[in-house]
Amino acid sequence: MKKLLVLVAVFSLVVAGTAMAAGNTNTGCGLGTVIFKDVQNRTTLVQVVEATTNGSSGNQTFGISSGTSECTQPTKTVQNERLNEFVQANLDELARDISAGKGETLSTVAELMGVPSAQRDAFNSNLQAHFQQIFPAPGVEFAHVVDTIVSVSNQG
Amino acid sequence: MRRHCARPFFFFPLLLLLLFPSPAWPETDGYLAELKGTAERRHLQDDRYWDILLFYKPAAGGRKSLVDDPKFFLSPGGKRDPGAELSATLDAMFDNSLSPPARCRFPARYEWLKETLQIDTARLPAQECPELDNTLRAINPKSASLIFSSGHMNAPASMFGHTFLRLDSAYESPLLSYAVNYAATINPKDSGISYAFKGIFGFYPGYYSILPYYAKVREYAAMEHRDLWEYRTNLTETEVRRMTLHVLEMQGVYMDYYFLDENCSYDLLFLLEAARPSVALTDRHKEFFVTPIDTLRSVLAAGLIDNVVFRASTARRIRRMAEEAGAAEVATAKSLAYGDVEPSTVVEGPLPPPEKARVLDLASDFTQYLYRKKEIPKSPYQERYLRILAARSTVVAPSPESPPIPVPAPPESGHLVSRASLAGGARDGDSFLEIAYRPAYHSLEDPAEGFNDGSQIVFSEAAVRWYPGDEKVRVQRLDLIDIVSLSPRDALFSPVSWKLQTGFATRDFPGGVESLVYEVNPGGGFAWKVPPLGIVSVLTETDLAVSGRYDRSFAFGMGGSAGIARQVSDRWGVLARARYVYGVLGDTERGRRFTGSLSLPFRLSRNRSLVLEGEHEDAPSVHVGTIRLTWNAYF
Repeated sequence: MKKLLVLVAVFSLVVAGTAMAAGNTNTGCGLGTVIFKDVQNRTTLVQVVEATTNGSSGNQTFGISSGTSECTQPTKTVQNERLNEFVQANLDELARDISAGKGETLSTVAELMGVPSAQRDAFNSNLQAHFQQIFPAPGVEFAHVVDTIVSVSNQG
Repeated sequence: MRRHCARPFFFFPLLLLLLFPSPAWPETDGYLAELKGTAERRHLQDDRYWDILLFYKPAAGGRKSLVDDPKFFLSPGGKRDPGAELSATLDAMFDNSLSPPARCRFPARYEWLKETLQIDTARLPAQECPELDNTLRAINPKSASLIFSSGHMNAPASMFGHTFLRLDSAYESPLLSYAVNYAATINPKDSGISYAFKGIFGFYPGYYSILPYYAKVREYAAMEHRDLWEYRTNLTETEVRRMTLHVLEMQGVYMDYYFLDENCSYDLLFLLEAARPSVALTDRHKEFFVTPIDTLRSVLAAGLIDNVVFRASTARRIRRMAEEAGAAEVATAKSLAYGDVEPSTVVEGPLPPPEKARVLDLASDFTQYLYRKKEIPKSPYQERYLRILAARSTVVAPSPESPPIPVPAPPESGHLVSRASLAGGARDGDSFLEIAYRPAYHSLEDPAEGFNDGSQIVFSEAAVRWYPGDEKVRVQRLDLIDIVSLSPRDALFSPVSWKLQTGFATRDFPGGVESLVYEVNPGGGFAWKVPPLGIVSVLTETDLAVSGRYDRSFAFGMGGSAGIARQVSDRWGVLARARYVYGVLGDTERGRRFTGSLSLPFRLSRNRSLVLEGEHEDAPSVHVGTIRLTWNAYF
């Protein structure tokens, strides 16, 4: 019985393993950088086993932060480590939320910056209005994003 | 098959002894001896909390820890000797030579001993734990949630779901919480066969990990299209802190990962017990098989959960937005994502501002989806995504308020996963009775509530049939695995549907002969949601049957199948299937086979159902019709 189970397992893996994902590690800074960071490039083959066993080929560390340390650090807000780390790790989601003037990532940034709830709407639309200043180019680094968000909201 | 009885951990204690000869104790002015005396008098080594912290479970000749990593034990015999481990832990607290100090390495043990023995910390060596303090400050645990991730849309192998814990801080935003996960660590260099062996029979080490919750949301909700259910526990701050300390002392410590029982969900229960020892969670599970949903159910039954929050996957959110928008808007969003249309044309176009906002929101979400799928490379993604967002930021209007995403039935509302069936029917006029059993998990004919539509995963179903006419009892079916994944395609998503079935089945041979064959039947194709019909699928299939009754002992055929699966109401469902296979190799004559079936499942209650089924089979010199009524009980 066990032998058969193994046979089945091997067979199903071989079938499922035919689709292989291309390896692409996306290191660097800017938009699209952290998207794949927490999820390793895994072949479908691996995914099936992982899904079945809840295994993971990702490094099973105690990762308290998820950013990439090689990018430029912000100037004005060095004190707010949590904000820096969060913006760095959620740059794409934050860009989306700022462009729409709402969203969970944006409200998390507002909370980290200590924006009182009564001022959140104003904060959101102010950032939306300055979107192109905050995200001027595809390769924008999170340091610029954090710095600009801080300076723009201080003006606003 | 290889046997894996001799595990390396037997040698580690010995190794440790060699590596660390007797530690040097500082002057303890007899306080250590006094504490040990008290601990012994009070039988602390038999305290339930000590069992929880050390993962001790009853075993032959006493108790044995489920932890396999030797560095978790301070005593060489700690795995099997709770008393020795307790004594060694007290020794370690007075030991200045350890780095990091024992109280920093094992903070949960330290806190518990300190409290229970009312240790005067002034009489312990002065030791600081800067790293532990920093971590605790970052996590700042106040409350905790149990997170259940639903199965993967297109991978029913993950249909069991996954559970992990979330440590919630004083922050309002759950994205700033930390997730505690237990998983097997797979060596990416292993070959496919090795994965199968190790993954399924548990030769990978399991580790706890801590990650920001936003990373888990990205992994499950965004990358894998899995919905998340966030069950808020009523654990107090003190309890959650205890649990956190325990997680921290499990850092880098492995347990052998067993898919069937000592798995991700089972091992999380220990953490909850460390938080609130009065709930006995890990003793409840005596079954052979522990799935995440079982874990969730026992946590709910223990009264640990206050409320639940549903976090829809990104795919569900995109689908919902697309449903609200018109077909033309969806087409525009798609062209934007593929870079065929400039975002400025939408901004300058005739749509009212809220619709403009919706098209651009949909387009940015879909662009990111394509990037995640690696359908567009990084640099065009960056540029396109930013252009769409820049255009979106000029449309000040919010997207039209779409009604909130309908929350599906929560996972615990589904039927229990083991199933026993009683059936009666007739095959070509010969009546029969049938009994069947399967340990797990869900088939398309089972009540759909709480499960993914179009997903089936059945493990080792056995059916025995008795024909009163010829007084014969025979094995009708012994499915090892029967997986079906029907993922509907739509304007935005183009998933592939597939199936895999293998096991023993009774097949008809000419002359009214029935024989057990071993069959392997994979298939792949497409499915669509067609409103009046339900999920319509078309798959190409191959079919391999092995039996001495075939010429050359096997028949290999190729063909296809078409099917309809529809949930008519809460109670009724309809499943129709037609399949034709043409013999290609081996016994090509008898490899040719047509089967058509119609089943009408009817849900009696959450854990009871009836299925009425008719099937017709046509092969050279074989024309058989079967009708069957099945009563299913889930437990």
